[in-house]
Amino acid sequence: MANPLFRISLTINGQPVQADVPATLRLLDFLRYDLDLTGAKDVCGEGECGACTIFMDGKTVNSCLILAVEADGSELMTIEDLSHGKMLNEMQQAFVDYHSVQCGYCIPGMVLSGEQIIKDHGKPDRDTIREDLSGNICRCTGYQKIVDAIEFAADKR
Amino acid sequence: MENLSTIGQSLSRPDAPEKVTGKTRFLTDISVENMVHGAPVYSSIPFGKFNNIDISKAEKVDGFIAFVSAQDIPGENQVGVIISDQPLFADKTVRYIGDSIGLAVAKTPGAALEAARLVKVDYDKKSPYLSIDKSRDATGNFIHKTNLACHHRLRNGDIDVGFAEADTIVEAHFKTPYQEHYYLEPQACIAFPIEDGRIKILGSLQCPFYIQKAVARIFGLPNEKVLVEQAPTGGAFGGKEDIPSEICARAALAAMKVGLPVKVVYHRFDDVQLTSKRHPFQMHYKVGVRNDGTLVSAKILLEENAGAYATLSTVVSYRAAVQAMGPYVIPNIHVDSNSYYTNLPPTGAFRGFGSPQAAFGHERMMDIIADKLKMDPMEFRLKNIVKPGSQTQTAQRLNESVGAEETIQKAARLAQWNSFNPDRSGRYKHGLGMSAIHYGNCLGAAGWHMDGSGVNIKILPSGDVHVAYGLIEMGQGAETVVTQMTADALGIAPSRIRVLPTDSAQVPDSGPAVASRNVIMTGNAIRDAAKKLLPVLKKAASELIECHKSDIIITNDKVTDNQSGVDVGFHELCDFMSRSNMSMEFTGWWHTPPLEYNAETGVGEAYFTYSYATHIAKVRVDTLTGQVFVDKIFAAHDVGKAINPAGIEGQVEGGVAQGIGWAITEDFIMDRGVVTTPNLSTYLLPTALDCPEVETIIVEKSEPDGPWGAKGIGEPSIIPTAAAIANAVSSAIGIQMNEIPLTPERVLNQLNKTEIKK
Ligand code: FES
Ligand code: FES
Repeated sequence: MANPLFRISLTINGQPVQADVPATLRLLDFLRYDLDLTGAKDVCGEGECGACTIFMDGKTVNSCLILAVEADGSELMTIEDLSHGKMLNEMQQAFVDYHSVQCGYCIPGMVLSGEQIIKDHGKPDRDTIREDLSGNICRCTGYQKIVDAIEFAADKR
Repeated sequence: MENLSTIGQSLSRPDAPEKVTGKTRFLTDISVENMVHGAPVYSSIPFGKFNNIDISKAEKVDGFIAFVSAQDIPGENQVGVIISDQPLFADKTVRYIGDSIGLAVAKTPGAALEAARLVKVDYDKKSPYLSIDKSRDATGNFIHKTNLACHHRLRNGDIDVGFAEADTIVEAHFKTPYQEHYYLEPQACIAFPIEDGRIKILGSLQCPFYIQKAVARIFGLPNEKVLVEQAPTGGAFGGKEDIPSEICARAALAAMKVGLPVKVVYHRFDDVQLTSKRHPFQMHYKVGVRNDGTLVSAKILLEENAGAYATLSTVVSYRAAVQAMGPYVIPNIHVDSNSYYTNLPPTGAFRGFGSPQAAFGHERMMDIIADKLKMDPMEFRLKNIVKPGSQTQTAQRLNESVGAEETIQKAARLAQWNSFNPDRSGRYKHGLGMSAIHYGNCLGAAGWHMDGSGVNIKILPSGDVHVAYGLIEMGQGAETVVTQMTADALGIAPSRIRVLPTDSAQVPDSGPAVASRNVIMTGNAIRDAAKKLLPVLKKAASELIECHKSDIIITNDKVTDNQSGVDVGFHELCDFMSRSNMSMEFTGWWHTPPLEYNAETGVGEAYFTYSYATHIAKVRVDTLTGQVFVDKIFAAHDVGKAINPAGIEGQVEGGVAQGIGWAITEDFIMDRGVVTTPNLSTYLLPTALDCPEVETIIVEKSEPDGPWGAKGIGEPSIIPTAAAIANAVSSAIGIQMNEIPLTPERVLNQLNKTEIKK
């Protein structure tokens, strides 16, 4: 029996998107495979690592835990649109300047989580940044330079 | 003239902008036309034989295309990289849960996975060996011809005489656990069908030349018929050293069979169950020391769980043996380092290669002895530490670039070691622990035959410079330092340089990108290429400016006639060379210096140079819950010369984090060969809350054979951490913690036991 498809309409990176998707399709896979937005990564698939982080209606979510049908009517922003066509926004520039990037696989999720931390706390101290970053796993950097970048970007805003 | 060289400066990474914008296409992000997907079919029993593979259910899966197995192999069914003990696809015998039986190929990743799960295999089970002890004591029914995968030994001096001279003899037993790499990007590759008799592989990988040889062997083709290109790689840490060889070879067979590109991305569960990990060690140390704290004798037994296949166990076992007593002078020493096969996932390359394990042994031992002698652990270390002119435990004379002592002193000063005097009456007990290590750079005597690497530098008419190298970027910052070193060697701006993705067709076999060898190998190869290139540039410049070539200076991106002061831009020179039809491509090569080493006795020059490091951990133990908090790490590293200081800090901070994971949070558990901690909710990688602020101290004792004086940093960064933490915890709670990870259960258990004894 063919999988029934559901029509979803949503806004992704400022563009209206309509699609027919199976009920079981994860939002992460919809973004990565149907729309070729591969900035969000699939690492753990169970909400433990934050590599699949995107903005949904103005808040960061783990897109591996959300079904595409659940995103119907919502507004999404992925790492691809963070700088709105500019080269880099301040957060991204801070990650470059503070040497926060190694292999880079966790980085899109880290940058977006950094944005959320600033939204929530304005100018947070390092402990707060660490606390709020603890849902994002990085295997390369030991986090210190990522904390540096977020702290600097927060200070600049 | 002011010199604008970037050597010693924290140039930012050329790959960072693409990574922070999500533009970088890692292998997992790449799709090619007509691509289909493969998923591994593997043994569900730890040891036994199989007769029949039934794919009838798998074939019914919607989108199923093919099943690939041993009978599809045109060449040799063998992927063992050092010891030929591992078939690509099991040939009747399976040796661990995860041993490869086949590859299911289907239109989508989901269908491939489903088909793989539906392949049915009939087994005759044998009783498995699930521990080092069981494997060592076996008398028959071996996993391979024997259960001993490999053995290294060191016999230096006379230990009986040494022990007779000793005032105190101390013995202790240590255990270190598995560690899963958990690179965030899983194992992944795309193999393309044969075209013009050549096979092409694109992969998330660490050692393109290992893959080239492995695939050629499976197909019975000459190496050059296999082209391997590296895609941006989302972490490796040793886990993508030899493992991609087997994954790529299977994908290549599938691509040949179905005539389409085949992508294989391991599902995380499979990645954890199937691929290699850090060797668990059990270690016995017996060390004799004089009352004044002088080490005189040591007898050390290291036993390693190699898992079902040897993979890189010989290298791990060798490194652990020759570094077993650390950076100390000890005249009499015997070491036996034995790797045993077990019916468990193979263990192999992981950042440090046996060094973190050996470091745990010698550095715990140093603290235990200091405690017995009532000596300060730092003073005890300084008393025995190697200095210029000292001999190592393998009787290798160290001449230059020996910063061990300085790393101890600098770390101790910053950590205020001498004034640390915590109040230990409350619930939280504070402790400070030190650990000092040495790390042999590059492949050493055991791997000397393949310790050469190359670059190919191409000058373009525009003045851009393309550098192809045989090692790789896996996140550690190789591209950045290659850029800096090339710019400095040629006297031009780093912005001109583009480091090409590693491609086996562009450079000769440069050996593996392991053993912290990139800076040394590639840097020296760059210097070699520059030596050939600079005279050509100068001659061309003298023609362009019409002066004498010995008057030409190329620096700060300018080409100047020193006599007249006339100068031209580097790009103008390149343009002139191109128009004059001059040679603009140069290769460079470097091989590590020859080593005098006796493999029988283990005595001699084990490595041509060593990196040194000292970590000091400041911890807090909650005696109510058993939880260990690392409040700070002071990390002093002798790197010879810091080409890019921020890059070094990044390596140190990352290495420390992995060390913290291994020491405290990462508790890898198996039940009869099945990993029961396959995901991040059961296998806890350190988070931003588990990792403290790290204070990195760079010590620069220039290495004459290192480019610009540099030595390796990638692995030294993780080696001392776990021992420093265990030493700090032991001192905080007054109990010798000789086994890691220091999970709350383990710590609490020890606290309770001691309570009861009291
Ligand atoms: S992939 Fe979504 S949290 Fe890990
Ligand atoms: S930079 Fe590699 S996982 Fe974070």
